[in-house]
Amino acid sequence: MQLIEKLSILADAAKYDASCASSGAPKRSSEGKAGLGSTDGMGICHSYTPDGRCVSLLKVLLTNFCLYDCQYCVNRRSSDVPRARFSPEEVVTLTLDFYRRNCVSGLFLSSGIIRSADYTMEQLVRVAKLLREEHDFRGYIHLKTIPEADPALIAEAGRYADRLSVNIELPTDASLQTLAPEKQIGSIKQAMQTIYTGEQTVLNEPRAPRFAPAGQSTQMIVGADDTDDSTILHGAEALYGNFKLRRVYYSAFSPIPNSPKSVPLAAPPLMREHRLYQADFLLRSYGFSAGELFEGPGHLALDIDPKLAWALEHREVFPLDLNRAEPTLIARIPGIGLRTTQRLVDLRRERKIRFEDLARMRCVLAKAKPFFITSDYHPQQADSTSVLLREQLRDRPQPQQMGLWG
Amino acid sequence: MISLECDNLFGTWREQARWLLSHQVDPSQVSWGEAQAADLFATDEPILAGLGPFQARIPKALLELLESAACYHGDQRWSLLYEVLWRVSHGDRTAMLAGDKLGSELQRRIKQVSREAHHLHAFVRFVALPPEAGPELPEYVAWHEPAHDILKSASQHFIGRMGRHRWMIATPLDGVYYDGQQLIHQRHCPEAWQQLAQNVEDPHSAMWLTYYSHIFNPARLNPKVMEGHLPSRFWKNLPEGKLIPSLISEARTGKQKDGQAKMIGSKPGKRIASGQG
Repeated sequence: MQLIEKLSILADAAKYDASCASSGAPKRSSEGKAGLGSTDGMGICHSYTPDGRCVSLLKVLLTNFCLYDCQYCVNRRSSDVPRARFSPEEVVTLTLDFYRRNCVSGLFLSSGIIRSADYTMEQLVRVAKLLREEHDFRGYIHLKTIPEADPALIAEAGRYADRLSVNIELPTDASLQTLAPEKQIGSIKQAMQTIYTGEQTVLNEPRAPRFAPAGQSTQMIVGADDTDDSTILHGAEALYGNFKLRRVYYSAFSPIPNSPKSVPLAAPPLMREHRLYQADFLLRSYGFSAGELFEGPGHLALDIDPKLAWALEHREVFPLDLNRAEPTLIARIPGIGLRTTQRLVDLRRERKIRFEDLARMRCVLAKAKPFFITSDYHPQQADSTSVLLREQLRDRPQPQQMGLWG
Repeated sequence: MISLECDNLFGTWREQARWLLSHQVDPSQVSWGEAQAADLFATDEPILAGLGPFQARIPKALLELLESAACYHGDQRWSLLYEVLWRVSHGDRTAMLAGDKLGSELQRRIKQVSREAHHLHAFVRFVALPPEAGPELPEYVAWHEPAHDILKSASQHFIGRMGRHRWMIATPLDGVYYDGQQLIHQRHCPEAWQQLAQNVEDPHSAMWLTYYSHIFNPARLNPKVMEGHLPSRFWKNLPEGKLIPSLISEARTGKQKDGQAKMIGSKPGKRIASGQG
């Protein structure tokens, strides 16, 4: 099979993994050196596809042959898809070619499970090793980690890769047992623990060899089972806490050809995935806890963002005086982000904040208006009920264009 | 009214601004124009040599902000900077902060400039010249059309990235060439560079185009988000740019049933028996 045909099959097979980050790597440069590539901590999105997703890395599977039969996966063994397998050298050639063209910042390599977990992991590591040692490649490498692989192989992967990831796949053990019977939650968490331990071992040891300096991430498929958002986000919170994950990616289940009956035929609304990312951001950067976002079991609202939802449930906190409030509280005002918060704090050192200042900052004024006070403004809506406010502030769905063929 | 011209060089503007400030020239009394326009309205008064008595103190951070905002192509490119400098040196630091009318515009320009530097890092596409081109020519060339003056500083990024390779980026205004050891910046891009970058043949582009088409998930079609991140002005210089309209329309007519590219679905598939490797 021609390389180009393999590429088409193995890129198509890799598109369901949402992660494409190339950030968090240490500073590396090839200036004046043999070889190729640099990293500086910032990710670069080299292109965008019409689904709005960024292309940052060459994201392919080494092979889409797979022994497992995960129901949500297009590459499951019972799936009737064309199959292909790259040699490690072929992946190296493609990575370097795309890198020289400045089309990507590195490689994100994953694989179906062939022969055994150890064999598959060895092949993945071999690609990274070839890139780093034979070609002096200093760009970004993200390796998918096969959970059942020998911890020694995972440790070796950590020496070559900037980022490792083990996919948790589904939010609950029960769903994993139903939909991915060959996968064990125990070995997934064990692999996360191995990576976490590897990171901790070299922490504060500047002369130790690097270990996955961009940390680990995971992916959870949303909408292939009936788990609610509350369970999903409590699960994510635990992963951030227990294994210091850098990111949890949420991937709305994408319908696959010849879908088995065990998974839905339709995708969940993409808005659900979007709301999960917003809530996840509140956990990572705004100091929210999952418990604050959910009173009990259930989903996030689709028509309002989770910060607005929280504010409507906690009217006693608002309106906040922007000239006095703590920055962490200002950042909890709907429509005001971390950047605007910092700008408000800088400005109020010089003078009183006025309403028109907000209009000139990058914030969503309509959303923020009921929740703050400035020296010249007090919101009329401060006394409106939350029900009324929600009605005024919720996103109204755009009228949908009907499909051309009904 | 004093009319000045700084040849779009920050260093020159800075000297002029220093002089103006030391003589307490109010921003309303000075303007910067393009070279030709400046000649028409040139002041009769010769500019006095030597600095005036006013000694301005400005925070160090301001100079960096001004230098960055100076890369912005737009109305009042230089006089806006002088107004900011004037207000801050007279004790009003809000002029450099978002929220203030002038400060917001300054910050907006800085943001646009840094975005444009990022666009260079992301959207430059190098094409290899044939190996027989020889050591006098770059190994990789790119044509790029930045909206602001970011090439000189932002192209440093590629020194670390490309190692000892020789590369060149040509734009409608300026150009850079890295000869393997040092970066040469030409304020007026030589025509030969421009032609080299615009006319280079790329016989091996099929791999990248194939990858781009197949990593796209038609079931998640969302062109609006894509255009927000990848403004359409860049499409014409990206090899994948010409694929975008057809990928969008194919996804629409395929009714976005699932994520697989059409061409994959038409190939013979292979189920794997349990236990086989």
